[in-house]
Amino acid sequence: MTSPLRLGIIGAGRMGITHYSIANAHDHAAITGVADPSKLVTTMLGKYAKVGTYKDYKGLLKGEELDGVLVCTPPAFNPDILDAVLEAKLHAFVEKPFMLNSADGARFAAGFDAAGLVNQVGYVNRWNDMFTKAKTFVDDGLIGEPLRFRSEMFSGTIIRDVGEAGWRSTHANGGGAIYEMASHAIDLIGYFFGAPDRVGGTSLSKVYSKQVEDIVSSSLFYDNGPRGGLAGTLYVNWSDASYRKPTNKFEIFGKGGKIQVDQHGMKVFLAEANEAHDLKQGWNQIYITDVFSSVPFYVRGIEYTAQLFDFIASIHEGKPVRCTFADATANLRVMEQLFADDAAQRAETRAGDAA
Amino acid sequence: MSNNGPIDRIVFGDNQFFGINHMSQDKAQERAERFAKLDNIMQVYDHAIEAGVEGIMLNSNDRAKGICDRFRADKAKYGHLKWYPSIPYPHKYAAMVNDKGMVGAAQEMLFAKGAKSALGKMVSGGMAVATLDAVKLMKMLVDQEMEIYHDLDIRVVFLQNIIVDLMLGYDVAEPFVAYCQHIRKKYGAYPGLITQNLPFLRRKLIEWGIEDVVICASINKIGYLMSPGVEEYEAVLAENDGSKYPVMAMSTLASGAVPPGEAYDYINKLNVQSVVFGASSPGNIQQTVSLIEGAPA
Repeated sequence: MTSPLRLGIIGAGRMGITHYSIANAHDHAAITGVADPSKLVTTMLGKYAKVGTYKDYKGLLKGEELDGVLVCTPPAFNPDILDAVLEAKLHAFVEKPFMLNSADGARFAAGFDAAGLVNQVGYVNRWNDMFTKAKTFVDDGLIGEPLRFRSEMFSGTIIRDVGEAGWRSTHANGGGAIYEMASHAIDLIGYFFGAPDRVGGTSLSKVYSKQVEDIVSSSLFYDNGPRGGLAGTLYVNWSDASYRKPTNKFEIFGKGGKIQVDQHGMKVFLAEANEAHDLKQGWNQIYITDVFSSVPFYVRGIEYTAQLFDFIASIHEGKPVRCTFADATANLRVMEQLFADDAAQRAETRAGDAA
Repeated sequence: MSNNGPIDRIVFGDNQFFGINHMSQDKAQERAERFAKLDNIMQVYDHAIEAGVEGIMLNSNDRAKGICDRFRADKAKYGHLKWYPSIPYPHKYAAMVNDKGMVGAAQEMLFAKGAKSALGKMVSGGMAVATLDAVKLMKMLVDQEMEIYHDLDIRVVFLQNIIVDLMLGYDVAEPFVAYCQHIRKKYGAYPGLITQNLPFLRRKLIEWGIEDVVICASINKIGYLMSPGVEEYEAVLAENDGSKYPVMAMSTLASGAVPPGEAYDYINKLNVQSVVFGASSPGNIQQTVSLIEGAPA
């Protein structure tokens, strides 16, 4: 190992303060500067954590000698921030959904790759032990060729009228269930199968929000390539009060069986027993306590530490990045397809009504 | 040291009432319906007390006040119990942050008791953020959380692991020092810290010169929720001075992955001062109490 990495935090909200704690606990990394518009936050951090504090990323990049940044700002700010980060030649970890459109995403994916800079996006489910185990099963052909999938995500995030305040309330700022939640469910699809070719039958509905969707449903299709013929559905609802914590549910059906997985457990149904994985014919239940990995330091969940320690390992040792800017850009293309498909369906309905 | 003497060997937790059951959604729903009734919760506590339990750990949540009221109402039956509250109620703050953002949530918290309350006065009246006294603020928030436990015999006041472990990563002594001093002074109780990083926390407490703190951590033979790993925990426990840093084991069954007999065989061999467990059937409660060595007969 070389000298400790010097990392800066841009945006000290809920994710920023979590990543600060995790990265700072790494033996070979330290947070040395933070940028945030909140005077309360920067005053406290300056006084107690004794790091350099700045009201914005410009001050941070000018005032601190850094090796990398953790960008945890609302995504509308990220193009300007990443332009400056790329110019400063810093490695970057960016919170999901990374950008608000795929054109910006593709530009930064190409730019950071060309500059040889580690680029990673915080789609944390790719580090969850249950999902990684399920992916191993699928990749090993446990259930044969995948034919159908369902990717669902539920939470009780928006369960009353929230008014118009805050960055969550408009798409322009990156609010809404597609950018904030469906992005996770879309990323799981991308993690397992790569990006779909097209979407159809999209429906975006409001429950409490005024300007953005609270429920997302759609169908996704793979027409070409090795996954040709695969199809699946997406259903995301962040106004479901029966869920105390955000939960992803993922189901995959293949000729040889079926996998139902969430963050905490998995059920596997097999047409035939599989000795290599020690799974029997019929139903198998796998608990998180059967597959969990260890991390050196735990704050919010094993996967949060694992993703940031991987980011640091990618910088130090060239470890491959599990969720690159390019991966997140592929997700943004799907989100754009969902918005476009929903708009097209509505236009059709209106045209039908008019006729 | 607490004014009240050592901590209980066995403490009865509340996960069986309010914990999230990841194993089965049906079971979780069944449980939620059963324990929606306070009478059903009290019945389980009565079984635990019959089995010899004298210590109760309660996580601050929207049900905790109603439970405390029941215990306060019957001094003859419950007056001998010792309490191990765990604060704050993180879900409340998380919901506020969802609704109002970080700054809005902070304002709501500070003015929860009105602008004329001590907290309200502190942050209103043009007080500049730069001069805001974080330690004083923390004490007030603790006191606000502790209101529901008034007139109970408090043995330890635990800080939830989501706060402890988050702060641990910042590597700053002051908040830990201030919290521990406040709990000792104001409540005559042990400060307690819940963590999923016991070896790291203990090393830091020693480095910072903070002693007489109860450390509550997941301890089970498979190493579930034990960072960095089970070997490191065993090594640290073997050399730990239980009078300076009494250790309370939680998650001893690792979410049901370890059978009780095996789980407590393992715990009984370790240098662990106390065990917190949760169960809801009289049989399971009695069995657990009988399996933990040093438990009241």
